[in-house]
Amino acid sequence: MSKVKVAFTLNDQEISLLVQPGERLLDTIRDRLNLTGTKEGCGVGECGACTVMLDGQAVNSCLVLTAQVDGREVRTVEGLGGEEEVDKLQQAFIDHQAVQCGFCTPGMLMSARALLNDTSSPTREDIKTALDGNLCRCTGYKQIVEAVEAAAEAEGAD
Amino acid sequence: MENSRRNASGRPKASGSDFEAEQENIQELGREVPVGSADYLAPKSLKKALEYRSRYGYKAVVIAGGTDIMVDYFERLSEVSSWLDLTKIQDLKEIKFGPEKIRLGSMVTHRKLATDSRIRENLPLLAESASEVGAWQIQSRGTLGGNIVTSSPAGDALAPLLAYQARFILGSVSGQREVAAEDFFTGPKENVMTQEELLIEVVIPTPREGTLSRWKKVGKRKAMIISSLTMALLLELDDKDEITAARAAYGAVAPRPIRATELEVYLTGRKLTEISAGKAGELAAQEISPITDIRGTVDFRCQVTRDITEQALLGFQQE
Repeated sequence: MSKVKVAFTLNDQEISLLVQPGERLLDTIRDRLNLTGTKEGCGVGECGACTVMLDGQAVNSCLVLTAQVDGREVRTVEGLGGEEEVDKLQQAFIDHQAVQCGFCTPGMLMSARALLNDTSSPTREDIKTALDGNLCRCTGYKQIVEAVEAAAEAEGAD
Repeated sequence: MENSRRNASGRPKASGSDFEAEQENIQELGREVPVGSADYLAPKSLKKALEYRSRYGYKAVVIAGGTDIMVDYFERLSEVSSWLDLTKIQDLKEIKFGPEKIRLGSMVTHRKLATDSRIRENLPLLAESASEVGAWQIQSRGTLGGNIVTSSPAGDALAPLLAYQARFILGSVSGQREVAAEDFFTGPKENVMTQEELLIEVVIPTPREGTLSRWKKVGKRKAMIISSLTMALLLELDDKDEITAARAAYGAVAPRPIRATELEVYLTGRKLTEISAGKAGELAAQEISPITDIRGTVDFRCQVTRDITEQALLGFQQE
């Protein structure tokens, strides 16, 4: 089977790759580009561990073919924050102890980042809705929701 | 997972000498094949997409948002010989508001339907149902057209489309045809489309001002759940509070989304205040033909259909 040439922006860098037509964005990110922050949980869009941002919107990277992101912009958890400092959301997750085993965290962060880019002062209900598609099996959601609230406030104060 | 595998296994696989010959030709051109090869067709125009559809039919798996098809092919993606990706066709992502009709491109996402202020205002049943599909990640990718073409009896957009008397524009290289939403679905995951056709557009008559409507989705949890049942109820009233038109559509309670016509007959011509909500609920429960499955028993579905119909009408009466 012929490979497909795909060019897209990943974490602000232009990249060009040859991929299998049926290759999932999740596998390209993890196995081809070695960005292993993005996790595979269920593989069928139920758990949100593989969430990345595609043109600013949260998507399950297990349900996207890499060939479909040609010409588009992808951001993974590695693309949050800058060289020197972490994203305000990441800091809030640390401060609020919103991480236990950490497997769901990259997905949670990306869903929350998509929300905060869209809405500067989300309500608690907005936050819960934005995180509906992300499962956490150990911390519970309270600290996560509080962390997102705190990050939203911190960003609002800037 | 077993379920979706079984569904997917019915899909024809790519084979045949013409198709294989074409693949060989392309591979001869060199190792680097741009997006748009026989293995991965990603046309930018609808015309080209229809040409590919005519040429390859079921041999090329059509992918839009991928939220159904990627699950169907979970761990079998390598079995797909050719993809026809519709995501680069901008024309299919448009929404047009006319004085009499609202036209929705088949590639409009659930997220767009859920957040667009004019959709929320004019087609609240569709906007609300879109906001309850899966979760944000699914809504960002999943499309209205995909929900229709997958044709699950539990598809969340389907009852609203029936209630709005939507019509679907199907295109092929030889032209277009228009099918009423009610005639489109023929059974669980079955519809009238042929392998040469693509769903292009959904056309909905703009609802009159003052139209009353209620959407209800019932599932085991709020997010990421396939509906146990859905209801889209719509009433048009005249200035004397008399119901001039009633449309009651239900999903996941029959082999395909259905309208409860006896309930509609009962409602039409009566004053809203004179309606017996209890009787309306009974009529709805009598008209459905649900099955027992993991998302609910027959008894549960009949009882809940009766209750949500009754509650919706009581709600209208109190407004």
